[in-house]
Amino acid sequence: MTTFLSFTIVGIVVGCIYALTSTGLVVTYITSGIFNFAHGAIGMVAAFAYWELTVKEHWPVPLALLFVLFVLAPVMGFLIDRLLMRNLHGKPEVITLVITLGLMLFLLGLAETRWDPGFPRTIPKFFAGHDVNLFGVVVSYHQIVVVVVAVAVAIGLRLFLFRTRSGIALRAVVDDPGLAALNGAPPARVRSMGWAIGAMLASLAGILLAPLVTLDILLLTLLVINGYAAAIVGRLRSLPLTFGGGLLLGLFESYAVGYVPGSLLSQLRPTLPVIFLFVALLILPQDRLRVGRAAGRHTTRVPALRTTLMAAGGFVVVAWFVSGQLSVTNLITGGEGLVVALVLLSLLLLTGYGGQISAAQLTFVGFGAFAMGRLGEGGSLLGVFAAVGLAAAGGALVALVTLRVRGLYLALSTVAFAQAMVTVFFQNNNVFGQGGALGVARVHLPGISLQSDRAFFVACSVVFAAAAIGVLALRRASFGRRLAAMSDSTAACATLGMNIAWTKLAVFTVSAGLAGLAGAFYGGLRGSVGSNDFQMLNSLALLLLLAIWGLDSVTGVLLAGLSYALFPVIQSHVPSIHSLVFLATGLGALGLARNPDGVMSKLAPAGDSLRGWWAKRSRGAPLPGERLQGEIVPDEEEALAGVAG
Amino acid sequence: MPALQAERVSVRFGGVVAVDSVDLSIEPAAITGLIGPNGAGKTTIFNVFGGLQQPTEGKVLLEGRDITRLKAHARARRGMARTFQRLEVFGTLSVRDNIQVAAEIRKAWARDRSRPAAVADELLDRIGLRDVAESRVDAIPTGTARLVELARALATRPSLLLLDEPGSGLDHQETAALGDLLLDLASEGMAVLLVEHDVEMVMRVCDRVNVLDFGRLIAEGTPAEVQRDPAVQAAYLGAGDETLEEAGPEGRPSDTPSDRAAVG
Repeated sequence: MTTFLSFTIVGIVVGCIYALTSTGLVVTYITSGIFNFAHGAIGMVAAFAYWELTVKEHWPVPLALLFVLFVLAPVMGFLIDRLLMRNLHGKPEVITLVITLGLMLFLLGLAETRWDPGFPRTIPKFFAGHDVNLFGVVVSYHQIVVVVVAVAVAIGLRLFLFRTRSGIALRAVVDDPGLAALNGAPPARVRSMGWAIGAMLASLAGILLAPLVTLDILLLTLLVINGYAAAIVGRLRSLPLTFGGGLLLGLFESYAVGYVPGSLLSQLRPTLPVIFLFVALLILPQDRLRVGRAAGRHTTRVPALRTTLMAAGGFVVVAWFVSGQLSVTNLITGGEGLVVALVLLSLLLLTGYGGQISAAQLTFVGFGAFAMGRLGEGGSLLGVFAAVGLAAAGGALVALVTLRVRGLYLALSTVAFAQAMVTVFFQNNNVFGQGGALGVARVHLPGISLQSDRAFFVACSVVFAAAAIGVLALRRASFGRRLAAMSDSTAACATLGMNIAWTKLAVFTVSAGLAGLAGAFYGGLRGSVGSNDFQMLNSLALLLLLAIWGLDSVTGVLLAGLSYALFPVIQSHVPSIHSLVFLATGLGALGLARNPDGVMSKLAPAGDSLRGWWAKRSRGAPLPGERLQGEIVPDEEEALAGVAG
Repeated sequence: MPALQAERVSVRFGGVVAVDSVDLSIEPAAITGLIGPNGAGKTTIFNVFGGLQQPTEGKVLLEGRDITRLKAHARARRGMARTFQRLEVFGTLSVRDNIQVAAEIRKAWARDRSRPAAVADELLDRIGLRDVAESRVDAIPTGTARLVELARALATRPSLLLLDEPGSGLDHQETAALGDLLLDLASEGMAVLLVEHDVEMVMRVCDRVNVLDFGRLIAEGTPAEVQRDPAVQAAYLGAGDETLEEAGPEGRPSDTPSDRAAVG
């Protein structure tokens, strides 16, 4: 009985913290319509700032609390709203998602640079050393503080929303921003308030939680997944249900720790919130088909087959020529760039063309590498087929499980899936073997040796070129038109008789298969793979990278891949900046707040005028005016060949 | 047998009754009009027919078969096509591709030997979209985009066509052409439901007209009967400064703001 009681108390305490953070998430969501993936990262920054002030600078605790909660946090929320979120109203959901994801990675990178993760830190508990005995269970003052604070916040928030002018204005904006504006509640100010309150609650949760666990950047940032789960229980709308969801998750975790056998637990424990999130997402009622026109999306013009073939051929020739000039190290770096570009190409098909968001693309790459490592001994082609097959099967499975959800909920589901796969599959000693590294052979074609670094580099370029031809051919075909149609208006597709589920299943399967192919080559390039290669956060970084360069530009994908591969090289020159990848991709994604269409949309006019100039020179006459308004995009593959050279 | 039938359909949103026990039938080879002031429940019942809105009570029958619980895509496969009041075009595709992809989607479920490219070509001419065929749909005027939606719906070769204000955004001449096209379609055997602001057009092309007010069906009959109906007069008089009679067949062009206010 005492054991049960003590696990209940632990569960309630942790649940209260989840409730606090998820309440903040929901307040921000209902006021601004933006789901803040960076919510946990804000709490993490607040906890570290609090540590810095109290432990390092020796500020008195109340003063530090006052500063962090009532100055730093609201200012963070306010700035995020003003600088990033203001312009996003009516933009495609994938862009708003990518920007908050970018903020999360940026804060993560910033924190790792400011506070070296290798250096252990602790925040003392509130009233450390004091505790009371409750029916034979020792309860610390800190635990009591957590519960009291959570209850106070819940009551305070309720009073604020129902009894104060600002609170009522806030609820009015949630119901109907236009109408509230007519009645004198400025939606902009209310939205800022929503972000400020959200940031304060995230910070409060961070500061209360950090003493109970360790003060760890990644841990605190990812704890937001628990917040997501609780928020989903509240359907991202109801604060009381969200609060209840937080408590439920806390108790669920605590009882699992108490009553699930130890061996099983060690495997399951990190995935408990993920399982909770997954279940919460799946029991959501099916998304209704929604009508309402999204703002015009920028799209990249699809080049003709002939142009594609010529450009792809040119690209391979250039790659072959360049490979002769590169050192072994550079061949590996370049090869990685090509493989990353291949992964991004698979994501382009899924997200850029199909409008489906995946935060699990590296998981499929991992499946591919695993299959190649296990079945592709001696570089057997069987391994490559298995890589494509296993990853495609994984993609189909994810699509089947998430058929009912889209947009934000799909993104959350894939985050949960990627995180679960890391702990259950990739970190499992039976998967990558003892020591966590699985040797992967380079594919061996009959009569052609690809064992040298140069040959394999050229092989990677051939595979990328072939895949690019394939993806563009798919886009030109009926399937591609259907993907674009689904992405533009799912409701209209349904009323034309399209089976949305099948189309989604198909695009997920093909995309994952392509990612699996990339996995086979990634493994071959590196010689071995480990669980660190397929982390969820890196999948997110890839999604961001695609958005930064332009969601549907094949040229952009190639440039993005090559730039991504350069990060470790640059990193080695600036060791003072930790996790340059996160910092740079995060910052780049934040730039999407100004230019949501990505880099390639800016480069396009330049490429176009260059082409016009070239045509004029070679023909002695201007191009016929065949280009329509809104289509000023360069022929991608030509630019592709040009850049690679 | 009616092409589509609503039997005592009600839709409630919380405490608000948007559609109140409406009976309505749409006959094949005819154009059925549905009019009513703003907020009368036209679009709601339209969405009930299309499968985007579940009725709280009542049944929807398609050629005699109960389709109340059928999803939107399954209804489309039974010959129903629709347009949207707020545009739902495929904005990133060209006009031609918008129509072609609809024909391709149809081909995928009908499994026949139709040639989507040819279907698109034919419809471009029939609806008069040839000049803008290669433009992206989000770059053309709203009125023209409505015609793209109509062409896209026709590309699925429906037996029942539901149109939600296809005429808004069109000029007088284009409206007349649209009216002729609808009469043509009906004469070929198609059942057409027309929800429309433009009373002149409704009176010109419809065989039967249904009038909704506050979610209830207050009148049903031929255009002439409906115009004379005192209940209809009252509903419209309450909503504006003009009677339905004045905007009748021989009335002024209906694109003036006052007319819109009266019939909207």
